[in-house]
Amino acid sequence: MPELTIDGRKVDVPAGTNVIEAARKLSIDVPYYCYHPALTPVGSCRMCQVEIHDPGRPLRVTIACRTEATQGLNVSTTGKECVAARAATLEFLLANHPLDCPICDKAGECDLQDFSYRHGSGVGRFEEPKRQLVKHELIGDHILLDQERCILCTRCVRFMGEYAKSPSLVVAGRGDRNVIATFPGEPIHSNYEGNLADVCPVGALTLKEFRFKSRVWDLDVEESICTGCDRNCSILLETKRNKLLRVRPRMNLKVNGHFMCDVGRFGLLDHCNPVHREELGWVKGARRSAAETADLLAAALVAEKGRWLVLLSARLTTEELLVARDVLAPLAREVTFVPAAAEGGDDLLFTGRRAANQKALELLGFASCREEDVANLVADPAIAGVLCFDAPLARRLSARKPLRRLALVDLFRRGAGEPDGGAPDQELAASPLGAEFFLPGTLFSEKEGSYVNLDGVLQRAARAQRAPAGTVPELQFLRAVAARAGLLLPDLFSKPDLTWAALEALGHPGRTLRQIPDDGLELGAPVAAVTRTA
Amino acid sequence: MEIYLSNEFAREGPLLLAEARAKGRYRTAQRVFESLKPEQVVDEVKNAGLRGRGGAWFPTGIKWSFMPKELKGPSYLVVNADEGEPGTFKDRRIMEKDPHLLLEGILISCFAIRAETAFLYIRGEYRTAHDVLADAIAELEAAGLLGGDLFGTNRRVNVVLHRGAGAYICGEETALLNSLEGRRGEPRPKPPFPAVWGAFGRPTSVNNVETLANVPAILERGSVWYKAMGTPLAPGNLLFGVSGAVERPGCYELPLGTTARELIDKHAGGVRGGGRMRAFVPGGASTGFLPPDKIDVPMDPESLKKAGTMLGTGGIVVIPEEVSIVDAERIFSRFFRHETCGQCSPCREGAAWSDQIVARFQRGEGRREDLALLEEIMRGSKGMTICVFPDAFAGPLATALTQFRGEFERRMAPAAPAATSEPTTHA
Repeated sequence: MPELTIDGRKVDVPAGTNVIEAARKLSIDVPYYCYHPALTPVGSCRMCQVEIHDPGRPLRVTIACRTEATQGLNVSTTGKECVAARAATLEFLLANHPLDCPICDKAGECDLQDFSYRHGSGVGRFEEPKRQLVKHELIGDHILLDQERCILCTRCVRFMGEYAKSPSLVVAGRGDRNVIATFPGEPIHSNYEGNLADVCPVGALTLKEFRFKSRVWDLDVEESICTGCDRNCSILLETKRNKLLRVRPRMNLKVNGHFMCDVGRFGLLDHCNPVHREELGWVKGARRSAAETADLLAAALVAEKGRWLVLLSARLTTEELLVARDVLAPLAREVTFVPAAAEGGDDLLFTGRRAANQKALELLGFASCREEDVANLVADPAIAGVLCFDAPLARRLSARKPLRRLALVDLFRRGAGEPDGGAPDQELAASPLGAEFFLPGTLFSEKEGSYVNLDGVLQRAARAQRAPAGTVPELQFLRAVAARAGLLLPDLFSKPDLTWAALEALGHPGRTLRQIPDDGLELGAPVAAVTRTA
Repeated sequence: MEIYLSNEFAREGPLLLAEARAKGRYRTAQRVFESLKPEQVVDEVKNAGLRGRGGAWFPTGIKWSFMPKELKGPSYLVVNADEGEPGTFKDRRIMEKDPHLLLEGILISCFAIRAETAFLYIRGEYRTAHDVLADAIAELEAAGLLGGDLFGTNRRVNVVLHRGAGAYICGEETALLNSLEGRRGEPRPKPPFPAVWGAFGRPTSVNNVETLANVPAILERGSVWYKAMGTPLAPGNLLFGVSGAVERPGCYELPLGTTARELIDKHAGGVRGGGRMRAFVPGGASTGFLPPDKIDVPMDPESLKKAGTMLGTGGIVVIPEEVSIVDAERIFSRFFRHETCGQCSPCREGAAWSDQIVARFQRGEGRREDLALLEEIMRGSKGMTICVFPDAFAGPLATALTQFRGEFERRMAPAAPAATSEPTTHA
């Protein structure tokens, strides 16, 4: 491991590390535009200039992104010459920049803005006419291009080529006529397009979906995971007044690296902003409050003990699944789940399995059941009814063969393009899917908990939105059932929290939800044998 | 004084293979292939002190010695025929008139660096030269002087002609390599250098046409003969171009170290119409302007460095008295603005910005503070980029500002009002 000196402080880094990353290890920020840890460094923005002081050689100003941290290297990031070089680069970059920060979505998280404050001059000397270029052109399904704001760092070009494997962006022109462009008549078509807005260090590539929605400093940001598939990409949920306005990937080298897919990013925007949401419960054809519904359903489960088939869902948190296991298993005839098949996944991040916590279902020892076999289970006359936590599954099962008695616990959207979904803006005339019990569920963003991805990484997801008043979250419902059944469950409720209990149930040392590292906990392959406590 | 590069320049059309062989061409190549080892060729070229004629004057033998001796895959020779420096037309003459001089040089050089393929990257506008070379290559192939089993040895050399598409920057060796590979013609960050990672990721030596044209003579007559010409640090002859306001513009083969006066006055017939010279460009646009009192400077790399500029390609441009340096510099600044590849921010913006300012002086709207600003634009971009392009656009600008400052001061706005800038309001 080479040891080098940066601004007088020693640091050792793995061989092959560049000076930017070595400095980062010391919390020294070297500003850069074209460099990106996940892309080939091209060294063209010239922002990351540092000074190299070699004994016996003249001082050298060079770019940190392409300078390898070698043994004994002596770097200064604050020397007069590199400070001047950076200021000069910024003045060049700002010469033709439109400075339309007041109407730019990037303002507040823009590297051009931030570095100008930190490394630039307050005065611009460029007084020639500025370049006038394309201001807003939709170049794909989501991304708007503003060529005037662009500083031509080419991160987007490299991202599309190197990462997304869809080389649809180019630098066209030459010199100061250079612009980022798509090939004529060939817009971006990729499941990773949304990342361009994050990869762009300035406001040149912005999201159509976020355009003029909010100043970024007005957003409430929570760390979560994407439930679009069982990759569970680390993300940030950014809300304003309880509405999810933007989803961004959060760097996690254990899970998703730096990026996320569009199925997740834009899927969550729809998913977490349900427009026509059924907020009240239904019991035997009559509307009831959620609390009443929860109570009556709990009573029915206890009264008909041993006669319910429970279909769990991979949308539930690990904590909810653990409680469901210990509460429902003693009451139900059988507790099972229908594993999701992979549909339309790619070889990058999107697995196509729309089942965020399927791994937890498996690790907690639930038996799985194929969708086409559920009907056989239900045909058993001993089964009184089906308690299902998954509305799309219930819908598919009903379509195969109407379920005799259905108790549905999930979020239900009116309209939603389904024949039985009713009209979006009208009250439902009957219970969703004809369920005897319908208890409105919550979104993953409305509760905190943990999820285990396909590789066994357990991550925490924070609560980013409030559920409508009166909603009974799934966990509260399960505890109501436990109370009805007289189950005390000391294994669960005597622990510091349910995450602790879940980890112990999975054969791991206990940790509270708060103690889960930001980048998750690798449960690893060989966990201790799972023993059913029921 | 001996001539070994331009013997055929006066003829109509190119020297064809049959006549070339009658004159003894390819005998040196044959002797090299039959009786020498690659290191011996490299050593001879090193001893001769041959330096690269593309403008950088890097010792050719040293460049070759960076090439791998033990091959783990192909090595390449890339011939830089993308002659684009304004005021330079020497390679064109070689290729149009004496293609076999270059091709024999290519054979020997391939032998020296153990390359079996030479990519000849020729400037797109050089249509005639391209066609002549294509014919000459076909002649060689028909005669068995290209391809396999050359001269009865088991060595092979192929030459691939590749036309550029009109970008000055593709004369920079790594931009040329990118362009050759079908990528954007942008210089690559170095290291790695081409000898390690060149064309298609293979070890590559990139050499200028005139450089390679020197090689047969060195191998034929020896380094001692060669070193007797030119200066001790820059031996040999150079194809000097003289253009602009002279009586006999053209390409003149003379020993390095010949004075600019001898070239302009004796060979090119002096300033056109017996007029006076305002300035001369010693070696292509990027070398800048020298005042007439520097006319006795010997034209070799070291002497011109002492004079504050560079020899570059040796393409002299004479600027007559009636042309203002501001106008002459505007031609260059516009050229460089047009030709920067634009990947590095300081160069892309600096070349454009300085051109915009020079244009204002041209319109008589310069401001006093612009002179310092131009200096700062050069300071902020020179040495700060992947290639040396900012040094190229700063060459004429810096010399114009230092040697001919008065001309800029005379083009300032009388009341010196602030330059108008268009409002930058956008929807």
